Amino acid sequence: MLPPTIPFQQVRGDLWRPLAGFSKRYSLILALLSAVALWGLIAWGYQIRVGIGVAGIRRPVFWGFYLVDFVFWIGISHAGTLISAILRLTDADWRKPVTRAAEAITTFALMIGGLFPLIHLGRVWLFYWLFPYPNSRLLWPNFRSPLMWDVTAISTYLTGSLIFLYLPMIPDVAQLAEHAKGWRLRLYKLMALGWTGSDREWHALERAMKLMAGIILAVAVSVHSVVAWDFAMAIAPMWHSTIFAPYFVVGAIFSGLAGLIVALNIIRKTMHLEAYLTPHHFGNLAKLLLLMSLLWLYFTFAEHLTVWYGNEPKEMNVFGARVRGRFSPEFWGMVIVNFVIPFILLGIRKLRSITTATIASVGILIGMWLERYLIIIPTLSLPRLAAASGRYSPSWVEISITVATFAAMAALYMVFSKLFPIVSVWEFEPHEEEQE
Amino acid sequence: MSLYLTGSFSDKETAAQAIKQLKASGYGPDELAVFSDEPVEFKRGVLDRRSHMSFVVVSGAVAFFLMVVGFVYYTQHDYPLVTGGMPIFSFWPTGVVFYEITMLGAVLTTTGWFIWESGLLRRDKSVPVPSIKPEVICLRVRCTAEQFGAATDLLEKAGAQNVAKLEKAA
Repeated sequence: MLPPTIPFQQVRGDLWRPLAGFSKRYSLILALLSAVALWGLIAWGYQIRVGIGVAGIRRPVFWGFYLVDFVFWIGISHAGTLISAILRLTDADWRKPVTRAAEAITTFALMIGGLFPLIHLGRVWLFYWLFPYPNSRLLWPNFRSPLMWDVTAISTYLTGSLIFLYLPMIPDVAQLAEHAKGWRLRLYKLMALGWTGSDREWHALERAMKLMAGIILAVAVSVHSVVAWDFAMAIAPMWHSTIFAPYFVVGAIFSGLAGLIVALNIIRKTMHLEAYLTPHHFGNLAKLLLLMSLLWLYFTFAEHLTVWYGNEPKEMNVFGARVRGRFSPEFWGMVIVNFVIPFILLGIRKLRSITTATIASVGILIGMWLERYLIIIPTLSLPRLAAASGRYSPSWVEISITVATFAAMAALYMVFSKLFPIVSVWEFEPHEEEQE
Repeated sequence: MSLYLTGSFSDKETAAQAIKQLKASGYGPDELAVFSDEPVEFKRGVLDRRSHMSFVVVSGAVAFFLMVVGFVYYTQHDYPLVTGGMPIFSFWPTGVVFYEITMLGAVLTTTGWFIWESGLLRRDKSVPVPSIKPEVICLRVRCTAEQFGAATDLLEKAGAQNVAKLEKAA
């Protein structure tokens, strides 16, 4: 935790420093990431022009990488909002340098995740058919469809997350506006909404943030539940499960935490914020990550045990393919990176450090992507009708778009960190309660 | 015509003492405002601001819920699909949509009410605002020309530094 002896001017100087200027290294990395993201856009453009057939999705596997990526990114988006909201509601002091970085992850991950249903649409130019208005045959959208559930859930979550990120930024941008020039001054002034720092404004902000934290928690849980129900509502082997919603929510928080630890470590190193993002913060996050790893193992075990004990032939086909068949390398690899490695690196106190937490987190991100792959592909490859079985291999278009989303996420995050302090300055000023 | 004066305090206890004395002299909460670069929490009864935010947010959520239920009911009946004897309007499959839009109502109402209650976007530009310095609590008092001298004395006695008449920034 930041010792209260660091003077305010230094806190502000340290946290504002990354906003000034662009280093050569920054520009080079941003250009590289933008180029990869652009390549993904070109691949998507190619798919729109030629048709969805350029993707590897074929009967019976109609959901491939795009849906894997969709679930993965929506999961990552749970980093910020859930973690920030829980820590805000419980008044956990150590959250202060962590929340904004986490909330930004949520917003960008949601923006990327929300794109995938559109990318997956064969005729994306008709996406507006999802809007609730009657079409030319006076037919309204079917609100009973899980696709409409997704639209409403993601729209609500994205709106809530953007506001949850924005509200606590108002005092910071108001202060930045006093020192900025040119376009930055215009941007910060517009965003500050005329903030003066009066007690009325502070009271309203604190009340709004408490309420928003409660609301966003409820929305975040519902969003990943809805994503889980996209699968669970289908009577497909190993999908039609009552625990899918909590299983997905746990997985989302798990992958979100891992994403947050990786992002925080990069921020800490590149922006020289070692005094603000301390081993104490990483230690707390690492403990949370370990807890989520155990919870994830529990849900995975419960899900597979029930299927195995039920011994229903169609379900066992998928079960067998996952644990001892053609998907077993991915399955056991997932168990190793999601449980074995974190359990060793984070469970043994002597081994727990910022570096090991980051290594475990990178592994978990890979493992959680594999988990989504293992949920979607084996079930679709081995449907109830054995004669309709098939195989799936992604095309270059799907791989390009997948890689591009990671680059886009990193690029968006880099741009954000150049525009706004990645650690909330006003929240970080030494409060009297902290000094006591 | 109203005049504004400010006094700076280095800690919240002294500021709270000054507010109590001003209130005892007849100043209401609307005539007092505290400015700082971080939230200052006084004990209950010092400078309480009434808030209806929770009530308004719940009302907003309920309003959105009723709106979405009405909308979905209308659309399902406007073009009734053949459902094979199943209900045209059913709560279970549309419950998720109701829930999400209700929460959207809560989110939007919170934002709207925050802007309203904080006074942002509707601030009277003719009222001067003191510039805030780090780790300083600034108390602004609105008074009449006759009260000005007494209010200045009161602030100074309460331990305020730099007590001065506040002019509108150029």
